[in-house]
Order: sequence, then structure tokens, then C-alpha cells
Amino acid sequence: MKVVSEKISFARSLSLESGQSLAQFELMTETYGELNQDKTNAVLVCHAFSGNHHAAGTKDDGSKPGWWDQIIGDGKAIDTEKYFVVSLNNIGGCHGSSGPTSVSSDSEHAFGASFPEVSVSDWVETQKILADHLGIDCWEMVAGGSLGGMQALQWAISYPTKIKKAAIIAASPKISSQNIALNEVAREMIRKDENFHNGNYLLKEVSPKKGLKAARMLGHITYLSEANMSKRFGRKLQDPDSKMGADVNYEVENYLQYKGEQFAQSFDANSYILMTKAMDSFDPAKSFDQDLIKCFESIQAKLLVVSFNSDWLFPKEYGLDIQMSAITAGIESTYVELEGEYGHDSFLFHTENYAMALQNFLESNE
Amino acid sequence: MNKTLASIVTNWVPSGSKVIDFGCGDGALLKMLAEQKSIIGYGVENDPAKINECISNGVSVIQQDIDTGIQDYRDMGFDLAIMASSIQCLRRPRNAMKNILQVANECVITLPNFGNWELRAGLLKGKMPSSSQLPAKWYETKNLHLCTIADFEELCSVEGFNIKKKIYLNNKGNATWLVSTFPNLFAAEAVYLIGS
Repeated sequence: MKVVSEKISFARSLSLESGQSLAQFELMTETYGELNQDKTNAVLVCHAFSGNHHAAGTKDDGSKPGWWDQIIGDGKAIDTEKYFVVSLNNIGGCHGSSGPTSVSSDSEHAFGASFPEVSVSDWVETQKILADHLGIDCWEMVAGGSLGGMQALQWAISYPTKIKKAAIIAASPKISSQNIALNEVAREMIRKDENFHNGNYLLKEVSPKKGLKAARMLGHITYLSEANMSKRFGRKLQDPDSKMGADVNYEVENYLQYKGEQFAQSFDANSYILMTKAMDSFDPAKSFDQDLIKCFESIQAKLLVVSFNSDWLFPKEYGLDIQMSAITAGIESTYVELEGEYGHDSFLFHTENYAMALQNFLESNE
Repeated sequence: MNKTLASIVTNWVPSGSKVIDFGCGDGALLKMLAEQKSIIGYGVENDPAKINECISNGVSVIQQDIDTGIQDYRDMGFDLAIMASSIQCLRRPRNAMKNILQVANECVITLPNFGNWELRAGLLKGKMPSSSQLPAKWYETKNLHLCTIADFEELCSVEGFNIKKKIYLNNKGNATWLVSTFPNLFAAEAVYLIGS
């Protein structure tokens, strides 16, 4: 599989949904496979809230395989021998694209808390600019899970003729009050860290890692299913030699401590807040009097909506809401319900039916 | 679905209509209707292997149990609902019929005729009969509510389901004089267009 990593600078301003703008911006990208001569085999994959541009393959430095490596690759469901797959870090993130940790053009400091609010639509706009830059007129498919699925849906709404298929996985046309509440608890944990300094911690050369870690620990629980946690950890006690802390009793505690710690080392607290805010505010029907059917009427892409039964964060009713609105609007749309062992995170993992649904959808023709 | 049955359904479906096929299998009928009558079609199916065939065929499909899901499709603007060889597999066929007629103004129902003489003869031997329409053994069949043509038409009359058109077919898929004259004895399959 041919992998190309590139940071692309766009010397143009970007107006954001919030009314604010960026004078210029950068996108960290990774591509897999090769674009054909007609440029008709391009697939865009959109990452979820804490994901990044590294979607597939293993980098030479021996780091982890990409977040969708089980799905993207030579001979896999999104087959890089046939398709040219584009992945990017969204703006507001912290893995190379313009975000709170990048240096602002009008000062020598990082944006920090002053990085403007971003939305799913803003991400779609930057992805459109990237498509134009790559000479891709129309995506064969835009795909993503969770917040990534919201981007795929927004693509179908915003650019009806620039996308043929949208795979909207473990996603929702808007999140619930409970989802927003969980996000707010996580943000509160970050804000209440003594090193947060209203988001200006970079200037003070500190980092609110404790808050970020606690936020991730809470989030991580919501991404898994109860059955999966029981199967994996049960009530097993942690082996004393590998305890993350003296207070740790159970394996599940140790696991969350470890995952939280790892996350806090690699993620930015302001990005966490921006990304969760973008998820909270996603609601494409709001410009259509809250009528999702009306909102869908312009869609020309075919949709594939996938839900997982073990997902309690974005339960199947969210997917069915998209599917039933699409049917009423007369949009070609397929709904698949899978068991998914891992709760909300199931979208990341290969199962036979899941991979086959994605592959058959991508490779189906009129 | 055999060719005669498919061509009957194709004739009855208005061009450009919005169609839902409950128990759509691999989506072959919907695909044909999309090609020949430019319909907007949706299938409902619960078998993952068949769903994947639908996706390959480019047919829109919803993974759902039709025993519980029919009423979810009310007020979605369907012109026609199809239920081909599925009604006898449902737990509550009478309720399903009522629900289907709230989804669309018209529905096409096809069903195997348990009154067919070959099946009657089989039963006379004292064992559950089988035929090309009903090939499965009694312990493997998905059919819960098999009925004869006379039974089904009686239900329609009692419930006020208006049979607008009907065609009876023998086991070769032909509507012969014999089958049309004595359907309950000679038809292997019946096809109905039912309105509310």
C-alpha cells in the first residue's frame, strides 16, 4: 500500500460557521493507494473526535497502526488496490492541522484558548478545499464513524453532486441531552485542573493533564459496552507489580488509568473542548425548521447507515432516525444493524458482516 | 421469485412509484422494478447474507424484523407495498395485512396455496407434504401460518381487504384455464393486488 503523509498549507482565509475566521490554515493529511487517471476512485475517511489523519498502515517509526487499519488497506473492505483513500486531521485538532497548539499568524504564540470554535460544517468546508487541491471533483465515498459519520452526512447535505456515497456509521443527526451532559462533565474536569488557566496553559508552559486524563477515563467508559468490559476485565484484581497507582485494585481501574495517562500525553485540552463542542452543536436540521426530512431532500448520494446494538452512547435509534428520514425524503439509503462487540467503538473493528457491508456498498454500481 | 410472478408484479407497479418490499430477499425484484419501472424502492430484510446481496445489487434495504417493523413505515409516502411469499411466515398475518395497508394504499401479496391437490394428496398419506413452493421439512420451515386460497380470500372478505386483481398460477408458473377455474385445488401460488 502506497502511503503518503503531507502537511498542506493553504494561504487563504477560512470563514467559519461561528462568524470568526482563520487568516490561513494547514491540513495534516495521509493518503493510501493511488488516484486513478480520471480521479474517480477517491474515498474520504473522516475521523472521530479523538482520531487523526493516521487512519491506516503502520508508520516506519514503529508507532501504532492507523485507527481504521482493520478496514482500509490492500484487499481490505476499503481496498487501497482499487481506491485512493484520503484522511486528514481536522482543524481544531492537535495532530498537525491548524488548531489550538499551532502558532497564530498574528503573534508568535500558539492560539491556545483563542483558537476559534469549529463545527462539522467547517470541517466539511476544509475537506472540500482539500479535494479541490487534490483535483478530486467527486468522492466515490465519504465514510466515518461517530463524529466522522456526522461529517459524511454533512457532506451529503452540503455538496449533493460532489459525493456519490456516504457511509454513516455509529452516528447521529444530532446528539442527545445525555450525550451533551457527558461531554460537559469531561470539559468540566479539564477546566477545573489547576493547570488549565482558562485555556492559556501553553503560555505558562504547563498542561492540564490530570483533568484531561480524568475526562478521557470517563469518555472511554462510554465508548465500550458493559458486556465487553465484563468479558475483558470482569472483577479481576490487578497484579501488584504492574499497578498504575497504589489505590488501584481492579484491572479495569488500571486499564482506565493507563489509557487516560496515554491520552493525556498525546492530546491537547483545548482541542478536547473544541472537538466535543463541535459534536454537541451538530444539527443539520436546525436550518430546516428542525425538519430532517426537508434537510435531506437535496441529497443525491446513496447512504449506508450502520448502527451497533452494543452501542449505548449512540444507540441504534439515532441511525434509524437518519434512515427513516432518508426513506421519507425518497433518498436511496440502506440501514444495517450489527451486534458489535465493543459498544460505540465497534465501528473501529473488523467483523465479517461489517466489512462486507462497507465493501459491497463502496463497490456497488447503479 | 419466478419469471411469471415477477412480470405480473412488474405490470401492476405504476412507473415512478415509491415501493417497499417486505421480505425482499436479495433485492432482485426491486432491482428489476427500478430498471423497468423507474421506481424508488426499499426492501426490508432480516437475513444478513441477503442484506449484503441487496447492497451489492445497489438496492436500498433496511435490516429489520418484518413481524415488528411494518408500522414504522406509515406516512412515508409509499404508493405500493409488496409482500411476496412472506405473509405465512409472520406471527400475526392479519395484523400485518392491516399494517401494510396503512403503509401504502395498495399492496401486492403472493402466497403459496396449501389447498393445492398435490399437497392434499401428500397429507392423505399421513405426512406433512412438500412441493416446489413449500420445500422445507416441517421442523425446518419458516412458515407459521400456511393457508389455502379459500382461507385467504375469506380473511380478506371478513376484514374488508379489497382484492382489486388476482392471478392464480400452477407449479410451472402458468395461469392455465384449469388453475383459473378451480384455483383452490389446482393453483400452487396466488398473486393479489389489494387495496384498503
